[in-house]
Amino acid sequence: MASELFNDYDTEGFFDEVFEATGAPRQHYSALLKRLSYFSAEELARRERRRDADFRNQGITFTVYGEDEGIERTFPMDLMPRVITAEEWSHIEAGLEQRVTVLNRFLDDLYVGERAAIHDGVIPWWVVTSSDGFSREAFGIPMPLGARCLVAGIDLVRDGNGVYRVLEDNLRSPSGISYVVENRVAMTRLLPQMFADTPVRPVDHYGRSLLGALNRVAPASASDNPTVVVLTPGVFNSAYFEHVFLAAHMGVELVEGRDLVVDDQVVYMRTTKGLKRVDVIYRRIDDAFLDPVVFRPDSSLGVPGLMSAARSGSVTIVNAVGNGVADDKAVYAYVPALTRYYLDEEPILPNVETYLLWDPDQLASVLNRLDQLVIKPVAEAGGYGITIGPAASDEDLAKCRADIIADPRNWIAQELISLSRHPTLIDDHAEGRHVDLRPFVLTSDVVEVIPGGLTRVAMKKGSLVVNSSQGGGSKDTWVLAPTREDLEAEVATGSSEARPGSAEVSA
Amino acid sequence: MRLDIRYRTTFIYDDVVTESQNELRACPIADEYQDLIRYRVSVLPSTKVSSYTDYWGTRVDTFGHRSPHVGLEVLAEATVDTKPRPQPAGACRPDSLLAPDFLDLHGEYLERTPHCDWGKAVADLAEEHVAQTGPDVVGRVLALHRLVGTRVEYRKGYTQVGEPVDEVLSHGYGVCQDFAHLAVSFCRSQGIPARYVSGYLFTRDETVLDDAELDDDEPVRVQTHAWFEAAVPGWGWFGLDPTNQQAVGQRHVKIGHGRDYDDVQPLRGVFSGAAGAMVTPDVEIRRLAMAEVGSPALPGRLLQQHQQQQ
Repeated sequence: MASELFNDYDTEGFFDEVFEATGAPRQHYSALLKRLSYFSAEELARRERRRDADFRNQGITFTVYGEDEGIERTFPMDLMPRVITAEEWSHIEAGLEQRVTVLNRFLDDLYVGERAAIHDGVIPWWVVTSSDGFSREAFGIPMPLGARCLVAGIDLVRDGNGVYRVLEDNLRSPSGISYVVENRVAMTRLLPQMFADTPVRPVDHYGRSLLGALNRVAPASASDNPTVVVLTPGVFNSAYFEHVFLAAHMGVELVEGRDLVVDDQVVYMRTTKGLKRVDVIYRRIDDAFLDPVVFRPDSSLGVPGLMSAARSGSVTIVNAVGNGVADDKAVYAYVPALTRYYLDEEPILPNVETYLLWDPDQLASVLNRLDQLVIKPVAEAGGYGITIGPAASDEDLAKCRADIIADPRNWIAQELISLSRHPTLIDDHAEGRHVDLRPFVLTSDVVEVIPGGLTRVAMKKGSLVVNSSQGGGSKDTWVLAPTREDLEAEVATGSSEARPGSAEVSA
Repeated sequence: MRLDIRYRTTFIYDDVVTESQNELRACPIADEYQDLIRYRVSVLPSTKVSSYTDYWGTRVDTFGHRSPHVGLEVLAEATVDTKPRPQPAGACRPDSLLAPDFLDLHGEYLERTPHCDWGKAVADLAEEHVAQTGPDVVGRVLALHRLVGTRVEYRKGYTQVGEPVDEVLSHGYGVCQDFAHLAVSFCRSQGIPARYVSGYLFTRDETVLDDAELDDDEPVRVQTHAWFEAAVPGWGWFGLDPTNQQAVGQRHVKIGHGRDYDDVQPLRGVFSGAAGAMVTPDVEIRRLAMAEVGSPALPGRLLQQHQQQQ
């Protein structure tokens, strides 16, 4: 190793993203490692401080719930990026396309379809009806193109053999894309030369891609240039920065519930020039707060009459209401079966082995080895409420056991995945830290996967919890183009929609 | 039996309201025991009404009004033919409640919901009474139905909408919603799927069914009513009215069912501009000859009176 950063680096038997078990660097990291070796530890530390100042100045922060008050934090980005080869990415991309297609088919089948998967016994009806995310209020509301999860964030992990697996689906309001884009901006400023050596596929077109997808699900009544808005719960929401970011990158209005009104089942936005008709609402408000007529009557965040307008087809709500049923962690266990059912295909990206605790046999076996498994509540996101068996105290395990027995439907158990690790700068040297990956998938008439995604890092040594709300950090994630020519073609078309290598682009 | 129903709710706001958005569930359901002959909704001030069928199969009328108004009147008129309902016959063994297919289909009617969130006292009492009956689901449902009647006394104004069932059992007073929620909770606590039913009852007094009034031509003034249905494996939904301790019959006109009141609330909505409103709900039911169809009512009576007074 050229650099002192890696002098004492030890993979400790984990699957390491950068180094093989022998200690040799993987080929697709060689250019990066060479470039890093030119920097002293002091120089890197200086650039890290500049990064922190940049992020804070720009307000790239999120709020952590559950601590005293809400604490605003920056999301620390590690200066050493994660690199994914073109070949690896094409596998991931195909897997994500398949998975999101299945989840959309399932949601449409449930809410406006014949519930074919239920009738054919692929998934029990009661698993659907007992899911907190199942929204009876959304029943019968159509979604153009069936794109009920237009924006999906699918959390992937790599196991001890380097196999990518789906850990969780996020189909309601997955957040993090703003960090993907901002991390890239920061990296190009802090370490510009690295991009000269490496054909890294761009991510900065996300706003255009999202707007394009939103335009394509506009109601038939909309003009060729539909009016799209981003609906936020407001400045106190943990992801408010991202809401501002999305509106700015799409060039559309950021609104709160009070800025919208419904008249005769049509949604309008209040503007200085009077009311303006709204066609598509990209909402970052939870279902329960969208419309006080239908959901919580005490909600002041939403828009009275919105659901009635959506039902009439005069406005499209994105993501659709009721998607939580498909990212319920018990329903997750059925996604491989749903894949075979709807597409007649084997899942490209496997699940993590999951146990359903209402089954007495599975429950008994799980309770026997609680200290080896991961226990998760089915409806939570953000890493809240998780018990990691090997790391839990006897007291935690006893509480977990009692919780499971009291309400088995509310919990799942999963095999502990020995998440892959990635060298991460800790003080003046690199140490292995566990990582995951949340790619973002846009569905309209096509499925578009943004190259890369958010690599989250469990910054605490040995920790497996990567969620930003649990003190995780992030890495810029580089998906390599097969060749520099492919990259140039992609940059020229301004989107990853036309994929490198396709006839159109290379012609 | 042909019945003519006029459901009317009037809001007199305490200030000018600039916007109101509402959902109405007042239309009798068409099912094997009811034919819907006619249904019409009108709103004053004049407002466009749209309708859809919700998840539970209930017709929902939605309407919003977005110009300044001081009152709102909703009028729903229906003519419906009710048919006799058979009673479940033959024994149904309790272990059939545990059949996987039955559980799968009825799971959502076994769960706790905000208004049917029973505690230990409710479950223990239900269990005690179930233990005294033979191994028959219908017998158990009837026992739990009677139990509500012996434990709760009808008293208007004692409870609010959303009174917890534990409270109703402990103080022992309530109105039809409380009777129904407690009956549903008793059943669910014993593994019998049960659902809450919203509807109309053709009687002068919802606690008794007096057949003499069937011959009366005069309309009766009532409120919306509530009862419950329990799932009997191999037979279907068995309707019982715990408030008057009768099986559901031809004088019951069903609007719809759900897990509890929230799924079939007759009128829900929000308004902005005023702090409160005086709400006057009113239901009129009249028996018609089978060939007769009810004549349209004149809407706006209360509202006009109020506006003239101002």
